[in-house]
Amino acid sequence: MTGARGWGLLLPVILLLLVAFLLPVGMMVPTSFRPYVPLVGITSGFTIGYYTKLVTDSYYLEIIGRTLALGLTVTLCTLVIGYPLAFFLARTRSRWRNWLSILVVFPLLLNLVVRTFGWIALLAQNGLVNQALQALGVVQEPVKLLFNFAGLLIGLTHIFLPFMVLVLIGPIQNIPRDVEDAARVLGASWGSAFLRVTLPLSAPGILSGSILVFVLTISALVTPRLLGGPTYQVMSTLIYDEFLQRLNWPAGSAEALLLTVMVLVLVFLSGVLARGTGARA
Amino acid sequence: MTAAQLRGWLLRVWVALVFAFLMLPVVVIALASFSRTSYLTIPPKGLTLRWFGAVLGDPEYVHAIGFSLSLALVATLGSLAAGVAASYALIRRRVPGGALVSALLNAPLIFPGVVVGVALLQFYALVHMNGTLAGLALAHMVITVPYVVRAVMASLQGIDPELESAARVLGASGPVAFFTVTLPLIRPGIAAGALFSFIVSFDNVPVSIFLLGAGQMTLPVKIFTAIEYGVDPSIAAISTMLIALTGLGLAAAERWIGFHRFV
Repeated sequence: MTGARGWGLLLPVILLLLVAFLLPVGMMVPTSFRPYVPLVGITSGFTIGYYTKLVTDSYYLEIIGRTLALGLTVTLCTLVIGYPLAFFLARTRSRWRNWLSILVVFPLLLNLVVRTFGWIALLAQNGLVNQALQALGVVQEPVKLLFNFAGLLIGLTHIFLPFMVLVLIGPIQNIPRDVEDAARVLGASWGSAFLRVTLPLSAPGILSGSILVFVLTISALVTPRLLGGPTYQVMSTLIYDEFLQRLNWPAGSAEALLLTVMVLVLVFLSGVLARGTGARA
Repeated sequence: MTAAQLRGWLLRVWVALVFAFLMLPVVVIALASFSRTSYLTIPPKGLTLRWFGAVLGDPEYVHAIGFSLSLALVATLGSLAAGVAASYALIRRRVPGGALVSALLNAPLIFPGVVVGVALLQFYALVHMNGTLAGLALAHMVITVPYVVRAVMASLQGIDPELESAARVLGASGPVAFFTVTLPLIRPGIAAGALFSFIVSFDNVPVSIFLLGAGQMTLPVKIFTAIEYGVDPSIAAISTMLIALTGLGLAAAERWIGFHRFV
């Protein structure tokens, strides 16, 4: 009885997600096996060519490798930069605490294109970063910071840092201070108490924050496109060009499905890992 | 100074540096938008409001702002209707398969936006819905409804179900009890969900860019294509307006509903 009425309330959401999400994504599977003939379009044959190309052609392998390398380095950077900030926000008793958390959320809510635009102005040949580096005498000639790995790494780290911090705050807050104090009383230095008690106890947060940032990084479109241009490609910009420039929808579908599988496998693995450590993802 | 004090200061310096890093591009854009030069330069040369005038006098920008606002409003209202009902069912009713629905509801949060975009591009082409406002609004509901559900569920969890039962015992019908007792209590969650939903829709590029039809243009896609075309201070000016609006909106949300509790 209550179950049936519950389903009635869930119906709009379920219909929405079935019709405008699951079905369209599922329909990319048959498309990805259709041969595409330039100037003719999608033909009615069957081919696994787009998948074999993705895992054998060096052009695609380089893009996939670059995407994964970016995911890994951005995750590490946000973790190293963000952990101390999350630690501070979790422990501080400052009356500004809530407003400081809001300051972390602010860039997150600010339009992504706007934030990326700021980095274009900063990282350009005559941008502020190069001006500062030259004024300080670190470099003589302007350094190339756009349309390469460094530019994407800086931009994406900035974009996804707030996610890492927000995910870390809760788990760090949940660590009982007594456990750390106990380690100190038993003679551990601050450093070893941190490394052997605090850090391992915040592992669930580190795990879910890392998976989240990794997944968001390999899926990002706007920042890699604007900071990498049309030539320095990652998987999502490749999919973008396939659908809007080259109009090769079968190839684009295969690439989109590969990206989807990568994301889903990671999320699934993080669930398994989290259960292993007795924590929630 | 003791070692503990030193650590405390080092941590504060680090925190200040990280906040500076987070705010750097925001400050840079705001400064650049007041420059008199026709190219982007920091620090700005001279001081002018001319680029703000240029943006607000450009019919393309004005149209894009209006279109984005209406789309975000429609998507948010739709997501609120579907999302509040779903949250209520998931928290208060024992629905068989509820866990599966929850998982499905979270999927668009981690799903690559570009994949949702291209999947709908192909799907709408097949069912002849490409370039329609309805198609675009449905796509935006898919990506915004999870935010509404998360915020509303968090709010509902903190409300005693007995309150609604009490209203029922006193003779209120189910809908009356819900709308007069439960709904006012979960208003902060609904407000936070609506705000998230509006911002997510208003900011979206990776889904919108594949689905916009002739004569349709959202503000972020307009800025995105303008940047690809060439960087100039009018882009900084429209960006500065968005920074100011986002900042004011967030500050207001924090004052009124304690927004930090929902992030």
